[in-house]
Amino acid sequence: MECIITIELGTNAVRVYAFDLKGNTIGSLKGYCPTFHSEPNYSEQDPDQIFITMLYVLKNLLNDFVHPQKYKVSTICFSSSMHSLLAVDKRGNPMGKAITWADSRADKEAAALNGSALGKKIYHATGTPLHPMSPLTKIAWMKNNENEKFKQVSKFLSLKSYILQQLTGEYMIDYSIASATGLLNIHKIKWNTDSLKFAGITAGMLPELVPVFSNAGKLNKAYQTSLGLSAHTQIVVGSSDGCMATLGDGINGEGTATITVEDSGAVRVMSDKVLHDEKQRFFNYLLTEKRYISGGPTNNGGVVFEWFTRQFGDFKNLFDIEYSMQELINEAANVPPGSDGLIFLPYLLGERAPIWNANARGVFFGLNIKHDKAHFVRAAIEGILYEIYSIGKTLAQHRKIDSLSINGSFGTLPFFAQMVADIYNKPVRLRQNYHSVSYGSYLLSATKMGIYKSLDEAAKSVELTDLVTPDKKNNKSYNAYFKIFERLSTKLANEFADIAALQRQ
Amino acid sequence: MNQFVLYQKNALELRLFPHITEVGAVKNSAIRLDGFPCTTADTLKIYYIQDGKFEWIINKRNYTLYPGDVAIIMPGIEFGNENNVLEIGSFYWVHLQMVKAEKWHEACPWSSLSETEIESIRKTLQMNQSPVFKKFQEIGVILKSIQSELTSQEIAYHTRVNHLLDEIFIQSARQFNSLSDTGRNFPGTFMKLEQALRQNLAHQWTVDEMATFTGLCTTLFNERVKNYSGFSPLSYLINIRITEAIKLLKQPNVSLTNIALDVGFYSSQHFSTTFKKLTGYTPSQYRKNYLQKNN
Repeated sequence: MECIITIELGTNAVRVYAFDLKGNTIGSLKGYCPTFHSEPNYSEQDPDQIFITMLYVLKNLLNDFVHPQKYKVSTICFSSSMHSLLAVDKRGNPMGKAITWADSRADKEAAALNGSALGKKIYHATGTPLHPMSPLTKIAWMKNNENEKFKQVSKFLSLKSYILQQLTGEYMIDYSIASATGLLNIHKIKWNTDSLKFAGITAGMLPELVPVFSNAGKLNKAYQTSLGLSAHTQIVVGSSDGCMATLGDGINGEGTATITVEDSGAVRVMSDKVLHDEKQRFFNYLLTEKRYISGGPTNNGGVVFEWFTRQFGDFKNLFDIEYSMQELINEAANVPPGSDGLIFLPYLLGERAPIWNANARGVFFGLNIKHDKAHFVRAAIEGILYEIYSIGKTLAQHRKIDSLSINGSFGTLPFFAQMVADIYNKPVRLRQNYHSVSYGSYLLSATKMGIYKSLDEAAKSVELTDLVTPDKKNNKSYNAYFKIFERLSTKLANEFADIAALQRQ
Repeated sequence: MNQFVLYQKNALELRLFPHITEVGAVKNSAIRLDGFPCTTADTLKIYYIQDGKFEWIINKRNYTLYPGDVAIIMPGIEFGNENNVLEIGSFYWVHLQMVKAEKWHEACPWSSLSETEIESIRKTLQMNQSPVFKKFQEIGVILKSIQSELTSQEIAYHTRVNHLLDEIFIQSARQFNSLSDTGRNFPGTFMKLEQALRQNLAHQWTVDEMATFTGLCTTLFNERVKNYSGFSPLSYLINIRITEAIKLLKQPNVSLTNIALDVGFYSSQHFSTTFKKLTGYTPSQYRKNYLQKNN
């Protein structure tokens, strides 16, 4: 019996799944990897720790589920979070830690590009918003601030490129991850000259650019032995978490949008055309040469509700945040939709799409003497999902969205899913206990193995079993309050800038 | 309430309790000058306000205590009223002898708590930035029980009083944990633990020691770590050890034995087997490969 293993290198954890060829889960394990903040605006991960964690978890998964049932591993497919940057010296040694998407040290470099003619040109060529998350601005930051180190750099890698190189010896980067660097021309699928010039590097300093289906080379002998895998196991480069979540939810063209609510969140659509937004609010990432995943990311997803729970939850059981969150949700359920006029702007971490304002901050608005704690809870959740709606509504100016799917650990909570359906006034599909990113990687591998003729066919095979239908009455309440939410989100720009400046002192 | 004060030096009621230096309840109906001086002692002091309002200095900071509030003053901390005034109201208290600030368990042979448990409680209370707990009636109930046990001296009161003192320890530490960020923020607490492990990787950490860090008992600690990180606490530690070893192996002048000991393996043999099990290479093969490839 053959099986497919998918490995997701996420910002919080490495997740490894084993699937049989029909897509049933044989087993799954995760391993936590810390994010380090040596400066307040830094966000870094240790590439060696991710590698060791990945090996450890993979080995445990093989020993616990795969080898005992005599499965033969035919493919191991990778996915990872986007925008990571790791500099290595000429020996391939990491020069410090890898910088993650959440790092904002390059805010000046991003601001310099934003609003400039060059910036506009680069955005439309690369599809990556001009933001400190983008490796383009991170490399420029290193050039401007750590020039001695910058001169010693032999290659700039993504975290996934480093992990693959450790396993097989090859330096590679797939179209999806490359299209999120700000360095790739997504129309020509070539490194973008303007970007390279701005960053101060040559194409030779980047890994080899390959399609998501490519083999990353042969697994090193030592790992074959320690993991108990054959030399014929195919190591597939794979894609990014965002692209895989979209594929995993079965999106195969226009008409459907998929919503992810993890710690952060995103709304994505798929098309064979680039989404052209004059205001530069959306990303366009490549799944394949012909498939673009477009959409907008929010910083303030489940992480905001987690913060809220830590402050106001009733921690009857030490450290049991799931229980405390559920208690709060039960309280919120007793408050009518719209929280009797209490509105929450969830911008605790600044915001990306659609307002792209790093200075934005959290706001409770409309508070009156009749509001109690439960109103705050409900308003907090509504605020997070109004923001998700705000992205979707802006996307709808470019793409028709008839139906929705939702995934992620917060998105699939019934209370959240119902609220999304009500706010959007659209049916929402999901599957409980289902990991979209890993399933997307399974579909990619299965297509490569010929089980599906194409990614389209693979996506069409996905059946999301749970359907949440919108409540018209609730939609009416949400709609009225959302209009105020939307106006507030931009109206306070000057005050956001002032308070952010004071908070930085 | 019945007023009473017992001092270790002259109270017969305390002869079975050498660790209780002072215990009492006071009801003060008029302001008393020269009644409550600031002092420092090697005792752990617990006060419960029954009635009135008290302005006290604890560790050079002013606190106002109201009925239901509890003050826990750690050994060696200055405590009293700034002007040596005893204000109107009533409160209960107990002072416990602590030999050394760091080694509570040595001072607590009377306690049925284990050494690790006492250590956890001490660390938890020491982490507490604020010595005052609001609305903590449970402690009032316990102090009242201690008083009645000591006055009535019924059967087994010796054991009972010591149990009640243990109960104060347990309740206070739990109260702190449930109120503080530490009890709510597992990611944050785990990150602090991870930093401590890295700072002293050569140390032979035990799960008990790691659990102490979080204020959880070992069983619950194991469960939470597994749930959060996917690893058992010791596997997570091995993960960090191998990661750091890989960095050191790339430096050709550090000996394998030194690497093994630096990252916390008890021998180079132990290092070698663990490393090979995970990576397929022995440490020396890994180093040779790396140096060959890059020369």
